[in-house]
Amino acid sequence: MSTGRPDRKSRTAAFWRRACTALAAAVFAVTAQLPVTSAQAGPAKLHVVATTSMIADAARQVGGEEVRVRGLMGPGIDPHAYRQTRTDIAAMTRADLVLWHGLYLEAQLEEFMHKLAQRRSVVAVAESLPKDRLLRHDDYANQYDPHVWMDPQMWTGVVAAVRDALIAARPNARATFEANAARHIAEVEALAAYAADTLRSVPEQTRYLVTAHDAFNYFGRAYGFEVIGIQGISTESEAGLNRIAELVSLLVEKNVGAVFVESSVSDRNVRALIEGAAARGHKVSIGGELFSDAMGADGTYEGSYVGMLDHNVTTITHALGGTAPARGMNSRLSAGS
Amino acid sequence: MFETLLDAFLFRAGYNAALVTVGTTLLGIAAGSTGTFIFLRKRALISDAVAHATLPGVGIAFMVLVALGGDGRNLPALLAGSALSAWLGLLAVQWISRRTRLAEDAAIGAVLSVFFGGGIVLLTVIQTMTTGRRAGLEEFLLGATAGMLFHDAVFIAAAGLLVLTLVIALRRAMTLVAFDPGFATSVGISVARTDLAMMALTMAVTVVGLKLVGLILIVAMLIIPPVAARFWSDSTNSVVWIAGLIGGTSGFLGAALSASAPDLPTGPIIVLVCFALFAVSITFAPQRGLFAAMLRYRAFHRHVHRRQGLLALARGEEILDPVTVSVLRKAGLVRRDGVATEAGRAQAARILRDERRWDIARQIHRDEAVINRQDILRPIEDVLTRDEIAEIDRRIGPPEAVPS
Amino acid sequence: MTMAENTALELVAANGRPVRHTDLADAPLAVRELTVSYGQKPAVFSLDATFAPGRLAAIVGPNGAGKSTFLKAALGMVPKLSGQVIVFGQPLAAARHRIAYVPQRASVDWDFPTRVIDVVLMGMYRQLGLLRRVSAKQRDAALACLARVGMEDFSDRQIGQLSGGQQQRVFLARALAQDADLYLLDEPFAGVDAATERAIIDVLKAIRDEGRTVVCVHHDLTTVAQYFDDVLLLNVHKIAEGPVEDVFTAENLQKTYGGRLAAVHIDQLRLDPQ
Repeated sequence: MSTGRPDRKSRTAAFWRRACTALAAAVFAVTAQLPVTSAQAGPAKLHVVATTSMIADAARQVGGEEVRVRGLMGPGIDPHAYRQTRTDIAAMTRADLVLWHGLYLEAQLEEFMHKLAQRRSVVAVAESLPKDRLLRHDDYANQYDPHVWMDPQMWTGVVAAVRDALIAARPNARATFEANAARHIAEVEALAAYAADTLRSVPEQTRYLVTAHDAFNYFGRAYGFEVIGIQGISTESEAGLNRIAELVSLLVEKNVGAVFVESSVSDRNVRALIEGAAARGHKVSIGGELFSDAMGADGTYEGSYVGMLDHNVTTITHALGGTAPARGMNSRLSAGS
Repeated sequence: MFETLLDAFLFRAGYNAALVTVGTTLLGIAAGSTGTFIFLRKRALISDAVAHATLPGVGIAFMVLVALGGDGRNLPALLAGSALSAWLGLLAVQWISRRTRLAEDAAIGAVLSVFFGGGIVLLTVIQTMTTGRRAGLEEFLLGATAGMLFHDAVFIAAAGLLVLTLVIALRRAMTLVAFDPGFATSVGISVARTDLAMMALTMAVTVVGLKLVGLILIVAMLIIPPVAARFWSDSTNSVVWIAGLIGGTSGFLGAALSASAPDLPTGPIIVLVCFALFAVSITFAPQRGLFAAMLRYRAFHRHVHRRQGLLALARGEEILDPVTVSVLRKAGLVRRDGVATEAGRAQAARILRDERRWDIARQIHRDEAVINRQDILRPIEDVLTRDEIAEIDRRIGPPEAVPS
Repeated sequence: MTMAENTALELVAANGRPVRHTDLADAPLAVRELTVSYGQKPAVFSLDATFAPGRLAAIVGPNGAGKSTFLKAALGMVPKLSGQVIVFGQPLAAARHRIAYVPQRASVDWDFPTRVIDVVLMGMYRQLGLLRRVSAKQRDAALACLARVGMEDFSDRQIGQLSGGQQQRVFLARALAQDADLYLLDEPFAGVDAATERAIIDVLKAIRDEGRTVVCVHHDLTTVAQYFDDVLLLNVHKIAEGPVEDVFTAENLQKTYGGRLAAVHIDQLRLDPQ
């Protein structure tokens, strides 16, 4: 043979050319399948990221099958102190819609959320509520108390804001969202009625709600309770020593028999209050654990908005001398509430 | 407001305030006494690194407790974790400064920031954990006294007394090691073991103080009292107990102040009170304070004029400076007409002799620090020993009288 | 030579004449094959030396010759690479209470809150232990030590207020308070005035006359013959040891100092020709 075998260099080059062609063909074949596969499953779900678990719950209720909701703050997490992690940022930047509370509840996330709003769909759901319905902050002149979910009537406004945000993000599912929202709002209004009825049974003289921090002002306004938090509206403020003494005097004076701990806040201050009262000969017990800034465990009834408030209302009523069904509005509370 | 303040001082501001006040007072005494030896041994910065190194231990202890099924609120376990990571931090500082070429302060800076940063990362991770109630771990940074319970106070009291007992027991060894480690070794004291004991005491104080003033400020409670106490005494034992006193007073006043008005954080107020006591010490301490220095200067000024005037008298020269004349007259050494009195002549003779002795002393002690201490305020008998003066007297002969 | 083989040691002067016999069990301080190094450089190499009891001995050599290192190794303050240190016939740990050490002045912080009397009382650590209070008798004993060095009027002064010579005297008083049988001093005469130097050498001679042993690292060649009975010439290795009149010769000095000590300086020392 006069031509002989091709030299090593050109043989190597030929090999690589063939290998790349085969690889490209394989990739093309695989990717060509994909639209077919997902097309068989239907249109993609709307990716929603919500900060607090209450908002996540509302988004799931209103969004239904149309949405996949990821909540950043789980049970027992304190939104006043929460700092976003890298994973959170990644999730939020990839989401179709980001829902947060606003009103300085997630104080550490304010700046980040405002920056993110320039690039993605970000809605502060509580800020759409009419300002004249909000309570003013004790310490800061232009701020409001953010704990609006404690009054179910106020919360219906937030659910409406969630619905509007979802519609804006996916207009062709408007009918679904409106139907789900109407259903959920009806549930919440039923909860409001249950709360009003049940709490009415608590005698006037025991209507003092003493908790670890000032999360219950809207609750107090709605149902006629005097609300006293050891720490202020944000858990970031340290309770002064003087505050405990002040509260001990109040407990003794008003003959308050029960105080409450919160799931997302340390209970040391509450226990110190109890010891202080005991030193003055006044016995105070822990009336129960309330869900203040976070809901109960995932998958439980208390892990939903309705369940959370049901638990709070029922617990408070039992502890302060009112009458309420043992297992709450829907008889779904776990035993020992 | 003053009524509430008075009530606070007299333990009448309520049970909780009384608990906290007792705890912080004991902490202040223990921290001040222990801190004296750290200060003398020049290890103040290490104690700060150790305090910052407690943070990751608290976080890890919390995570372990939660993993074991609890809710992470077990205070003794958290404090044990903090002590362990503080100990590791200390070992890291020693290892780095011994095995690498880094100086000790670089090692301290590295350990402090790495451990503290690691601790903050752990706290951020913990906040995302869905199980376990927040145990108030951020409270370890600056302390949180409002939630102090009776068994916390008992723990602090017991730990504080233990620390104090050990400080008293080990004070002699620690003083020797701080002053002259070579000598300490030569009389059989183990320098390494004494230093270890000192750091263990520091760690005990840090752990006790975590909930009261927090890890960021505990170093202030260790270091400011001895620094302030140094102005009041030249004897080590006195400095130790004065530092304990200053620390305890800061704890007491700080807690009482924070209980008397709303929204005052206890830990930082205690540190501010401590600093105020330091400011008072540096200004008003007799002999070593600024005020005393000022008075000394005025006296020195008068003394210079007096000396110059007397020397002039002794040498039969005319005194020209009116201030000098007035000083001499006020001291009864010169009459109104400028003529020396009997006392004046006697003093003049003494000053002349002193001056002559100093002339010789300056020649002998050419490079001596004693020359720097020739401050004219002291006669030479106060500065040199008898044999040194005898030596000088040999050279200048007997004292002379001043003619009238 | 191990201790078991030889309990008696003959010291030989430079010209071959035996000088004296010293039983190792009597020797207040003896070292065998002592090597100490800082990092890779030996400061003292394979040193054999014996100090006779009741004598005033000097250790002499150029800078960096290992003199201070030798003292520190003898006290266990720096680790030794090899060799033995024998104190009154026993290992160091057993006989430590019989040694008093006066370090170089520079190593102390003069702002330390301690007074002259406190420093002297430190010397009584052995009697006081960790907890015992200082009794009036001990305080008087401390004052007596201060009186021996002429510092009794300064007992309440903070140490930073003293001159260099006075500070040195206080450290000597501390050593006296230890009531030791062997005194090791590191350059006690460095940087002190004439009066202090005289005071110190008087005290050292008095201690020797009481039957105790004194060993000094000494820097001033001109005073060796005047002050000391014995001398050890050291430059990492031992050059010579023995009584001053036998060992302190021009030849030995040349060997010790290498070329660093010019002949004219040796002449100035006016040594007796051997």
